[in-house]
Amino acid sequence: MSGITVFQAAKIITMDPNRPTATHVAVRDGHVLAVGDATCADQWGRVHHDDRLAGTVLMPGFVEGHSHMSETCFWDYTYVGFHDRIDPDGQPWPGLTEIGAVLARLRDAAARLGPDEPLIAWGFDPIFLSSERLTRDHLDSVTADRPVVVLFSSGHLMCVNSAALAAVGYDRASNVEGIQRRPDGEPNGELHEMAAMFPVMRRIGMDFRTRSHQRAYVDAFGRICRRSGVTTATDLFAMVTQEGAEALAQATARPDYPVRIVPAVSTLHSTPEEVRAQMADLRQLNHDKLRFGAVKLMTDGSIQGFSARILWPGYVGGQPNGIWNMPPAQIHATCAMMQQAGIQMHIHTNGDEASTVVLDALAAAARAHPWPGARHVLQHAQMMGPALFARAAELGVCVNLFANHIWYFGDQHAALTIGPDRAARMDACRAALDAGLTMAIHSDAPVTPMGPLFTAWCAVNRQTMSGRTLGAAQCISVPEALYAITMGAARTLKLEAEIGSIEAGKRADFAVLAEDPLAIDPMRLKDLPVLGTVIGGHVDALI
Amino acid sequence: MSLPRLPLTVIGGYLGAGKTTLINRLLREDHGQRVLVMVNDFGAINIDADLLVSADGDTMTLTNGCVCCTMGADLFMAMGDALDRRPRPDHLVIEASGIADPARIATAARAEPDMAYGGIAVVVDAMHWGALADDPQIGAQIRGQVAVADLLLISKAEDGVPPALTARLAALSAAPQIDIGDCAAVAPLLLGGLAPLQGKREGGGHPAYVGWSHDGDEAMSRAALAAKLAQAPQALYRIKGLVAAPDSAGWEVQVVGRSIEIKPALDRVARTRLVAIGPQSAIARADIADWWSQG
Repeated sequence: MSGITVFQAAKIITMDPNRPTATHVAVRDGHVLAVGDATCADQWGRVHHDDRLAGTVLMPGFVEGHSHMSETCFWDYTYVGFHDRIDPDGQPWPGLTEIGAVLARLRDAAARLGPDEPLIAWGFDPIFLSSERLTRDHLDSVTADRPVVVLFSSGHLMCVNSAALAAVGYDRASNVEGIQRRPDGEPNGELHEMAAMFPVMRRIGMDFRTRSHQRAYVDAFGRICRRSGVTTATDLFAMVTQEGAEALAQATARPDYPVRIVPAVSTLHSTPEEVRAQMADLRQLNHDKLRFGAVKLMTDGSIQGFSARILWPGYVGGQPNGIWNMPPAQIHATCAMMQQAGIQMHIHTNGDEASTVVLDALAAAARAHPWPGARHVLQHAQMMGPALFARAAELGVCVNLFANHIWYFGDQHAALTIGPDRAARMDACRAALDAGLTMAIHSDAPVTPMGPLFTAWCAVNRQTMSGRTLGAAQCISVPEALYAITMGAARTLKLEAEIGSIEAGKRADFAVLAEDPLAIDPMRLKDLPVLGTVIGGHVDALI
Repeated sequence: MSLPRLPLTVIGGYLGAGKTTLINRLLREDHGQRVLVMVNDFGAINIDADLLVSADGDTMTLTNGCVCCTMGADLFMAMGDALDRRPRPDHLVIEASGIADPARIATAARAEPDMAYGGIAVVVDAMHWGALADDPQIGAQIRGQVAVADLLLISKAEDGVPPALTARLAALSAAPQIDIGDCAAVAPLLLGGLAPLQGKREGGGHPAYVGWSHDGDEAMSRAALAAKLAQAPQALYRIKGLVAAPDSAGWEVQVVGRSIEIKPALDRVARTRLVAIGPQSAIARADIADWWSQG
């Protein structure tokens, strides 16, 4: 029997209603043995008192229910986004609010490259810049002797310099949709959509397919999680090969790996037997820190990209309705198949039409193949209101709402996409909880930075970038938001028996905080310092 | 010699339209080309065991040199893999998923210097297309597939293509409409090769295509060539080949339906060589020859 360690803290917020707060937690074999005061584990035998966490506030390790491990691949490149961001090693990268600053950072990066290395940057978001448009001429002024590629944050656009255009032979004669042009017909450097971007990416070695599951990237993802207090994170829509899955299993198996990974894989199989066999193979690789078992479905696009499928009255600018990634007939067929196979689904639905179709499909699947514990999750579900939430509740379906959108995109949703009426009820946390749903809230990292306390701040305050409060009626309380980033998210992953609260029997996964989130001004929630994490009783170096 | 460009043909069309049937036909036909076919659902590909060299998790290799595989995690990166194969395949065929916009894929062949645009063939189910095109949820995407097609391949028209369907498709697209039930071979449509036209016929008595080939010493500027191709007889499905130029290496030409693609040739073109096909019901070899020879 291994020893008992009793950690002392200034306060422990347990998320266990039987003992909401405590000052000490006893850990044995990676699990919580007891919670209470200094004597809480005395009846279990000799204890070792550990005061490294004294003075901190402990919470259950946060659970990020919708993130992507691919974030770490981007940090191989230079960040040039509008918002401040922190890299996996903790270095802050201040947001760049005008083109001159973007070019200065690019020059700085160019100076540090080897002779034949292309210069690649990511996260550029001209929507927030009021200055002139970025062109090949700007990038030529950075360096002309190697390709320069600036990826936009949407993932659908890039801007490249003349050397990159020459490498792929794009010129005034090129008959390619997606090559943007100057008035004189020459390409201006901006390339739209993958078909036009892919020849450039191919020549500069940007292939993310297997990279994010390699050791160095898995480790970097762990550092991002630790810094934001996350001890369980999803890799949603993980495109896995058997080889990639094995690499991920190895990289996460070390005792000090700081986060439990829950991939939801994409599957191309079309019969319940095939999917079951694929998942059974993947589950063989599972261990304490890795949980294959669920799948991800993509149904529509994004609201800010006008590709989400939304109900009447549509987009305010009169844009055509969005696009289905899966046609409704296939959504029905796949939901039925997964339900029959007994596989939990995380289903991406942004628009309310997509959410409606998915709930129809889940209702039909539930009739055909009853499975009371299915607990499928609608991911994003940004336009669901009380009526759809009620249907989800009837079906035992959970939601994971994209609270970060309120701050990052809320102003645009009111002004440009769906208008103020519907923007005010987006990511409707209050309505979801009032319907009795299991609810999580998320970052969708790398779309927005991982940070559950920031996500909780969004759900509590519903502030946009311009400072307006977007739909005050949908604000939730701080305790509700803290529940959503711990127990709520754990329930969406079917892991609530193991994680999500600090109570006897659960894994000793903690977020180590500098202050008590229940005692501070709720507007300061996003600024509350995270000092590190504890995973399975292992204290990770305090940051 | 540079590696030849890899032509890409994209097959679009809704679920159940007949894309897989078409691909199964293509893989079995005797077209003499090493075709790499990327599909969504491997399970539906049905190749007799005696035509298979090997089959593992996600790749089937056929005795005729063709390979069929799944596209895996990223379609575009899979295209890169296809380009990196040695020997490079003669032709790449990609099956777009049922709701996908095939142009989003096919545009890559115009953009990528190592690829050639081989066109978008959209399979239209004669029995169900009309209802799908009117569906309030997916109608726009279904109609969009037809609008970007270079060839419309009508399936399941056992009793002939209904005139109302022909008219509706024509309103959306100028692409030739072809009843694939009537076609002796699908490879000439999808690959543009002429091999099956040399007297070899499978199945029931539909001569279907007329072929034309040309070997001459004319040299043309890009503008002159573009103007010439723009005047090609409407009924031609495909034209492809190499054209010599007065002051450059020459041109590589791919015409599919109404799409005209001219790229600089990778190696110097000594003689102009072109092939073309069209439906026998609509065009004669002499019409094609007249078009090319007229000043």
